[in-house]
Amino acid sequence: MRRDSRYRVNQQNAARIAAFLLLFGAGVAFGAEPKDWLERMNKALTTRNYVGVFTHVHGGRVETLRIIHRVRGRDVSERLLSLDGSGREFIREGTEVTCYFPDRKQVLVERRAADGPLLGALPAIDEAVSSEVYEIRGGERERLLGRTTRVVQLHPRDQYRYGYRLWIDEQTSMPLKTQLCNQSGEVMEQIVFSTIDLPERIPDAMFKPQMDASNYRWFRADRQVANNVSPALWEAMRLPPGFRMATRSAQQLPGSSEPVAHLVYTDGIASVSVFVEARKPDTQPAVGPARVGSSSAFSTVVDGHQVTVVGEVPATTAEFIAKQMKASKAATATQGLGLAPQRK
Amino acid sequence: MTDERHKESPKESDSQLSAMFDGELPQGECELLARRLTRDEALRAQWSRYSMIGAALRAERGVALHDRVAWRVQSLVAQEATYGDGTVDSGNTARTSVIVPADELRAASAARWMRFARPVAGASIAAGVAALSIFWLRTQDDTHTLLALNPAAETIVLEPDTSSTTLASNPAPAAESRVSSGEPDRYTTPAPNSTPGIVPSARLANYVVAHSEYSGPLSRRMALLGLVASDPAEVPATLDEETAPAAQAARPDEEGANDAP
Repeated sequence: MRRDSRYRVNQQNAARIAAFLLLFGAGVAFGAEPKDWLERMNKALTTRNYVGVFTHVHGGRVETLRIIHRVRGRDVSERLLSLDGSGREFIREGTEVTCYFPDRKQVLVERRAADGPLLGALPAIDEAVSSEVYEIRGGERERLLGRTTRVVQLHPRDQYRYGYRLWIDEQTSMPLKTQLCNQSGEVMEQIVFSTIDLPERIPDAMFKPQMDASNYRWFRADRQVANNVSPALWEAMRLPPGFRMATRSAQQLPGSSEPVAHLVYTDGIASVSVFVEARKPDTQPAVGPARVGSSSAFSTVVDGHQVTVVGEVPATTAEFIAKQMKASKAATATQGLGLAPQRK
Repeated sequence: MTDERHKESPKESDSQLSAMFDGELPQGECELLARRLTRDEALRAQWSRYSMIGAALRAERGVALHDRVAWRVQSLVAQEATYGDGTVDSGNTARTSVIVPADELRAASAARWMRFARPVAGASIAAGVAALSIFWLRTQDDTHTLLALNPAAETIVLEPDTSSTTLASNPAPAAESRVSSGEPDRYTTPAPNSTPGIVPSARLANYVVAHSEYSGPLSRRMALLGLVASDPAEVPATLDEETAPAAQAARPDEEGANDAP
């Protein structure tokens, strides 16, 4: 009788310990901070193979798109295609980026550097910077589409950037739902996945366009990334809080006979590109704002150069940065774009 | 009495219905709307139209999924009725794989609504509908055939979530006040900025592509979506004629370069 009682107590203790270990283990695995979920999501988005279909809502329009993402070593292939609406496709395979615009019967082809920045130079979620300009919060569980997700919110602390609200799948760290919000919390753009597959391998055939573009008009250009770029010949006199220089390069874009200076600024989450190219004297300068989806652009002319800022930021931020761009004397007097000649 | 108290204009009802489909309607309002759906024929018709929007989008690809959607919604509602009072014959609520033509479904839907629908579990219905609006979008083209050739493929199964906890944790004004995230009451998408593009559109497309290479995963996707999914009316894809010679010169040996139609 006493032995039975002792056995029962031991059994209960073992059960308690097992339950504690189970809860502790789960806590370690799932008790991550919101920032940890963001990093996991970034890692999943950049290192995993995935094929997904999602709905995209922007400006009152609803569109269904498919994304195919494959990583083989440092080779990133990606295909984004509209399943309805325009039928446009973006395909990045190897060093070639191709944009198909069936609504215009045109194809844009660019060459990327083999060691491009997609994997190596992605802006990390820098807590020191990001926490100054974003409030990162959330992390609570929420059921979405039958999955357990973690809801993480990136709330901008000022008007110079957008916020995000993310539903991150607890098991795979893939964002099942993404909302782009302005500072007052209004949803500007929303992505909701309907399916996601995470295959071990994705065949090359899945990176072929679904259209016959043989009769389209093709435009091609090589992208030459300068190996040796002079430092800081073009720079922003002031930047919005939290933004810093991430990288600069010289690139050849389709339609430009001269290399274009490309400067990238980031606040740890959002990034802004500044493109500077010598202005052709016989062309009208581009001055003012433009939009592509949720991306803002602003163009101006500085010291005889066309300066255009593009980024997923509010229009005021693009304008602010564009108007702060200045060329050093060396850039204006001798080297045009402020980029040193490429080293052979 | 409750319905009368919350009587709203058609526009407000549409807005609520839209929010319900997006899973953004607060639970309390979902329950009220679910009750109104059982009585308001016009609202039911609007709901039906919403559920067919996606099917219309898919029609050009020949994927006739709207029947399935209609059936799933009906099935879900019937199931919820069972949860509500337990009086519904299980034969009526059992899920079946028979696909009924949409016309017949629509004709029968009113009667079934009156028969089965009850003011029950509005949150669950809303959650199911919100999920269904996405669920049917699964396409059936060659992509999945290609993926099926990879036996190690892992699939995240996203399915309608009928649990009542979904809306409770959905962003809603009450919940938002707790986490102070600034979530709006309803899902709204501001009208697209009508500012005309001043930058030559082809150049802007080039810039966006180049910029996307240096963006983080989230902003990269948003940038590319701007190119791929933007309104054809505001297309940034046109390459200016003046750019053609330069582009051609860049790859003179490329087959197909500058093939004028």
